[in-house]
Amino acid sequence: MVDFSLWDIVRNLLLALRWTVALSLIAFVGGGLVGLALLVARLSKLPGAAPAVALYVQIFQGTPLLMQLFLTYFGLSMLGIDTSALFAASVCLTLYASAYFTEIWRGCVLSIPRGQWEAASSLAMNFREQLRYIILPQATRMAIAPTVGFLIQIIKGTALASVIGFVEITKAGQMIANATYEPFLVYGCVGLMYFALCFPLSVWSRRLERKLNPLR
Amino acid sequence: MTTTPKTIPLVDIRGLRKRYGTNEVLKGIDLQIERREVVCIIGKSGSGKSTLLRCINGLEEFQEGALTVHGQPLKIHDPHAMRELRQNVGMIFQSFNLFPHLTVGQNVMLAPMLVKALPKPEARQRAEKLLARVGLAEKFDYRPDQLSGGQQQRVAIARALAMDPEVLLCDEVTSALDPELVGEVLQVVEDLAGQGMTLVLVTHEMNFARKVSDRVVFMHQGKVHEMGPPEALFSRPQTPELQQFLSAL
Amino acid sequence: MSLDFLVVLAQWPMLLKGLALTVLLTAIAAPVGSGLGIACAWARLHGPSWLRVLVGSYVELIRNTPFIIQLFFIFFGLPALGVKLSAETASILAMVLNLGAYACEIVRAGIESTPPGQIEAAKSLALNRWQIFFRVVLPPSLARVWPALVSQIIIVMLGSAVCGQISTEEISYAANLISSRTFRSMESYILVTLVYLGFAVLLRQTLNWAGPRFIFGR
Repeated sequence: MVDFSLWDIVRNLLLALRWTVALSLIAFVGGGLVGLALLVARLSKLPGAAPAVALYVQIFQGTPLLMQLFLTYFGLSMLGIDTSALFAASVCLTLYASAYFTEIWRGCVLSIPRGQWEAASSLAMNFREQLRYIILPQATRMAIAPTVGFLIQIIKGTALASVIGFVEITKAGQMIANATYEPFLVYGCVGLMYFALCFPLSVWSRRLERKLNPLR
Repeated sequence: MTTTPKTIPLVDIRGLRKRYGTNEVLKGIDLQIERREVVCIIGKSGSGKSTLLRCINGLEEFQEGALTVHGQPLKIHDPHAMRELRQNVGMIFQSFNLFPHLTVGQNVMLAPMLVKALPKPEARQRAEKLLARVGLAEKFDYRPDQLSGGQQQRVAIARALAMDPEVLLCDEVTSALDPELVGEVLQVVEDLAGQGMTLVLVTHEMNFARKVSDRVVFMHQGKVHEMGPPEALFSRPQTPELQQFLSAL
Repeated sequence: MSLDFLVVLAQWPMLLKGLALTVLLTAIAAPVGSGLGIACAWARLHGPSWLRVLVGSYVELIRNTPFIIQLFFIFFGLPALGVKLSAETASILAMVLNLGAYACEIVRAGIESTPPGQIEAAKSLALNRWQIFFRVVLPPSLARVWPALVSQIIIVMLGSAVCGQISTEEISYAANLISSRTFRSMESYILVTLVYLGFAVLLRQTLNWAGPRFIFGR
């Protein structure tokens, strides 16, 4: 019977934590880019964009992330793409994040008074210029706090990638718990590590909210 | 000649001082209010009139002095004592403060049922009678936001009366109303005065004060500056501050 | 690449059984979790400072860790302390604790936005602290935050999909089972996902109808 020290457990978890962070960043950046594209498409009133994006958002916000992961994983292999768990999880979490980001940012843009758009267009700016120089700078300021806040949701979402086999910290925790027969200790450590990642972001997000949105 | 014992004033304020931080807003108030008296408190904003009123039912805490209602000293940190006090002292607010999630009738019935443990049918009867008294019997099942400001304020009066208070405090009860709605509320207050209710009103309605009150108190910078029957105070103001106040109206 | 839904639909008894358990889990967790949230909100606003710290720690712990870890900790970890729970009980407990933490913050925001005049009026009518909280402050507060609370309940309902991982026989577990039996993974998951979507819509409409009717009267 091999005896595992606490350090053995923690060390292995920390190694897996790298993958949690990596997947989170992929989804954050990827989701941000896709979300921004969707936002611009919606705002520029491309024909059919608004209802399509609305449906897209409704699907990702109205269904379990776990189902989305399964569908991506099995869907990709059905399309003939030989896929690793990491790839499938990255694709799924990117799209998941993009749906939430586009909604969050749309809310920020909508809360900018109509008068700003009108003033900009009265100055003969075209849509792209209005967006780039007047609207987005203001909306960005308001969007920082909730965007940081959603990063926390992404980090927590990566835990579900374990179910399709990706070895991040939750999966590593399961494997270690089974090997050591110490589920209380192991899952406790996993929880604390997620907490260590997410709590500082929570605090920062709240501070940003107070600083950048004092009117709220 | 037999000396009849002097009746204890209903509200007895002596040497009341109140500070907000370092700013003293009430600088030693002495005021006695007798049963069945109607007292109007007037003055510029910032003179401390609303603050004084809110001290009487414990919504504001004072640092020095004594305040006695119906013989009982006010003990703001004793919830039991405050509950007793507030059954005897009712308040009507400038912004009505009706409960938005209850109907008009439920607003009036709530406190008697919860505080006086009145059974529902009796509470309902009382509410119906009081709403009729303020002229709103038919609005029993309406929600507050379906009523005009004047109607809401009259409901607020009925709600306060449902607790059978001995004295009613009115804090600028018409200040938030459109001018054409002021009259209906003042009429109700005048009726209450005529029926012998003890009233303490903070008001800007000088004509009303002149007509209805037994005594007018002019407050200035946290003190009772002048006090007297309305005729005397309004026609022959003694101090320059009151003269200035009345001329600016 | 052909999708054959009929094979999967033939398993409708299993799907129905799974859906029933999902509905049951939600039906228990939603009111109990919301009630816990209301109690915690009150504690954070009016409780003694030790209680505030305790509740604050609970809220931060839940909100900064994934639900699946909370579930695993309760189901796999607690037996080490002698507390052995069935999969269903562990699922309900995890959902209640999860919803409670989020509901606490939602309800707290609602309570804090109560206009002070309401409380003054209630005090002037001699209502005591509990009467003021339950009869005057809470109903309009819940009305104000109802959309946010409903959204959170739906999030927890969707999150319950994870409970299938500890063999709770709710609908995602049924999906896994049907998928492995029929080898029709895409169809199984598409179908179950549509069921979740439908239930989410239904749940939102039901709660939006029930709230004004039963809880905050408008």
